[in-house]
Amino acid sequence: MSHALPNPVDYAVPFFIALIVIEMIWAKRRAPEKYEPGDMLTSLMLGLGSTVASVLTGAAVVGMALWAYHYRLFTVPWTWWAWALCFILDDFAYYGFHRAAHRVRWFWASHVNHHSSQHYNLSTALRQTWTSFISLGFLFRMPLFLLGFDPAMVLFCAGLNLIYQFWIHTEVIGRMPRWFEAVMNTPSHHRVHHATNPRYLDRNYAGVFIVWDRMFGTFVREEDEEPVRYGIIKQLGTFNLLWSVFHEWIGIARDVWRAPWQHKLSYIWRVPGWSHDDSRDTSDRLRARWVERRGSSSLRLPSC
Amino acid sequence: MNWAALAQIGGSLVAILLISWAARSMGLGGDVRIRDEAQARRLANEAVDGFDPVDIVVDRAGIGALLKDAAGRHVLLRRHGAQFVGRVLDNHIEARLDRNFLTIGTGERLLPTLTLDFGTRAQVWAAGLRVLRI
Repeated sequence: MSHALPNPVDYAVPFFIALIVIEMIWAKRRAPEKYEPGDMLTSLMLGLGSTVASVLTGAAVVGMALWAYHYRLFTVPWTWWAWALCFILDDFAYYGFHRAAHRVRWFWASHVNHHSSQHYNLSTALRQTWTSFISLGFLFRMPLFLLGFDPAMVLFCAGLNLIYQFWIHTEVIGRMPRWFEAVMNTPSHHRVHHATNPRYLDRNYAGVFIVWDRMFGTFVREEDEEPVRYGIIKQLGTFNLLWSVFHEWIGIARDVWRAPWQHKLSYIWRVPGWSHDDSRDTSDRLRARWVERRGSSSLRLPSC
Repeated sequence: MNWAALAQIGGSLVAILLISWAARSMGLGGDVRIRDEAQARRLANEAVDGFDPVDIVVDRAGIGALLKDAAGRHVLLRRHGAQFVGRVLDNHIEARLDRNFLTIGTGERLLPTLTLDFGTRAQVWAAGLRVLRI
């Protein structure tokens, strides 16, 4: 790596904590049920564990980034436009990763703990995975290194991306100005992403720029007449930290063990909720049933 | 892992415990209850997509409810923090009747059994749950 940069997230943590305290005071005055101490403790411990996991596996990830960079097609210079381009392309890579994290059970097993809270507040933002290294999610950024972006630049942009996504995990903010909602990911767009309502399921995968969802047909706007319900289809029902981290991995292991040989791999790479005997629901099926109940034939049903 | 990283993790842990203590001290989370059958119906429908109950019984304190649909499926609603979770009951359940109180376990290790006061309707619902275990 030609440059050494700090991890911007380290510098953002004090601001994260200050904003969480401010949001807690807001909740105390307006809606105490928006924050649940047990849920918040689980979220914050998931964040801490994720930091520990990153420290433990960071060297391996950087090593692979450097390895890929060694075989780069070009050498992108260390200049202002390269930073801007890197930030945009990194966000696009994030979109690809995030979409896969919801549509492939292997990646979902790692990502699910970000979604398993039934609350949506700033502490939810810190509810990060411990198992991203196992799920190989970092592979989605490899094309950037192969293109010739310096790994230090890419990882710094990834940190900025993560910091941006913190503030959108709130119900305090309704909607931002129209122009901003059109281009950027916002609290409103991301509430939809965390929803379990069938109409909202598996939509709005964006990190920073919502334009990716608009481009690829995965955007759904938050509707005032349908308040968002948060969490996952089968809510955990416990604040147990280890279960929150590993429940989907355990679910995969059980399913693979019990499934007939020809279906074992499908429980790993197919969409969450898939089953060989059709006994479970995927988000597509839940949405189709919702449309049927509404009797609406005009709604588009992109299968993503 | 170096000492600086360990100190950072230790500091974060202390901050997390302080914030959690503050959240409890502030009374966040509130005291959510199921107010009536209409709310129980809505919660069950949200928990189990398309669940359309034909019979509902709500715990007198509002901490849980049992619902049954036309197909005989039973859904247990239980309070979880400041929210509710629902589970379709199957033959893994345990159910014990003690006068007006029905104690129900879902068979999930991390969901403890729940004792609900269904008043005089407890016996009828206990009989319904016994059928599930056959």
